[in-house]
Amino acid sequence: MAAETGTPTTLTLKSNDDELFSVAESAAILSVTIRNMVEDGCAGGVIPLDNVDGKTLASVITYMNGISAIPADEEKKKSYRDKFLSDKDFETLADMVLAANYLNMSCLMDAVSAKIAQVMEKKSVGWVRRKFGIENDYTPEEEAAVKEEHKWTFEGVETDDDN
Amino acid sequence: MADENSENSRFNLLPEGCIANIISFTSPKDACTAAAVSVGLKSAAESDTVWERFLPPDYVEIVSGSSSPVAAYSTKKELFFSLCDSPLLVDGGKLSLRLDKSTGKKCYMLCSRQFQIAWGDNLMYWTWSSLPDSRFAEVAELQSVFWLGMRAIFQAELLSPNTNYAAYLVFKLMEDHEGLDCPSKASIKFVREKNGSVIEKVDKTISNVYIVPRVMGRRRRIRRTRGGLPGTTPNDRVSRVRSDGWLEIELGDFFICEGDKFDIQIDVSETKHLNWKRGLIIEGIELRPKEVS
Repeated sequence: MAAETGTPTTLTLKSNDDELFSVAESAAILSVTIRNMVEDGCAGGVIPLDNVDGKTLASVITYMNGISAIPADEEKKKSYRDKFLSDKDFETLADMVLAANYLNMSCLMDAVSAKIAQVMEKKSVGWVRRKFGIENDYTPEEEAAVKEEHKWTFEGVETDDDN
Repeated sequence: MADENSENSRFNLLPEGCIANIISFTSPKDACTAAAVSVGLKSAAESDTVWERFLPPDYVEIVSGSSSPVAAYSTKKELFFSLCDSPLLVDGGKLSLRLDKSTGKKCYMLCSRQFQIAWGDNLMYWTWSSLPDSRFAEVAELQSVFWLGMRAIFQAELLSPNTNYAAYLVFKLMEDHEGLDCPSKASIKFVREKNGSVIEKVDKTISNVYIVPRVMGRRRRIRRTRGGLPGTTPNDRVSRVRSDGWLEIELGDFFICEGDKFDIQIDVSETKHLNWKRGLIIEGIELRPKEVS
């Protein structure tokens, strides 16, 4: 685990587009994937992260450093997460979900997921399709059956063409 | 955030587990909407990951501690809707619990047997009977009183946190009801004990409730709307018919924060006109999130 005293151990992470990043081990082990590598003694050289690009990895490392600098104070951690995510566009958020999933970082995963969930709240089916670019692959009969199952959900939703 | 669809199609790259995790941060209602978006989203939206999060954190204890049978379920979603549709008797049958299907928040009804009722221990004034359409073993029947007073106490920690709850008196009228058309007072107080002495924090909620709408006189027709009677104020409330056939009347509302620990004391009384009253059957008082039917 992280060194208690002396010079902090530094790890080198490599993105899938060959960018190299240095990060303190104590921050990097927020990722269970990386922690397992450290514990297995496989973190000595460069750690290749094949599923994360440089732009996303830079963001994730900013988050790792920021959140691990905050002592055990859930309120402060939460406000850091809110601020960290406040200026991220949807594309970046989706990339961060993929990265958090690959790196097995549940706190980042949940924060980003909650942020995306906010966008989905109280929206119509058509709105979600358009916003997230999801193709409707239901037949009209199937779609009617799914809506019929939870009719109450769709009561009071006026139209599908609002934003 | 710009609304450029092509850019947002990145959502389609997310594995089902990630999409399920995202949906689990919405609400039961939003998850049902998501299921209608596409076949892939339906699969994520119906997963146990999602519905486990919508169930109350203590659902395992609730289900195992209930005296009502819980229908067999194979998914968390089935369990969720079974807890919405069929109230469970808990705490030895004193309370019934169901979930609000839009939000998953807890809705409790305290059985009238647990109320403190003025003159409630004298069978001349109040009797107890079991009705086939009641969820509880016994309900209170008002034979005749002039001093109407009842109090129900709930513990705040039972309720879902960060929720605006409203309290409802759930009742029926007997054919020969009488004297219930003058306004009763409803009040909600938070009561806590500190160092052995009782500290009451009076909430702002005090309203006039019309168990029988005044203008209806002897016709005994039940108005389904709230407020709007001539000469009444916005704080005046009248009854409406519930989906289970009982009537209900809103008594007031209050907000529950995370970690709140006190008693919620709800009083309904008519001690001003002191006319004779009869023919009221009380099932209980229900607490459920406001703005939800």
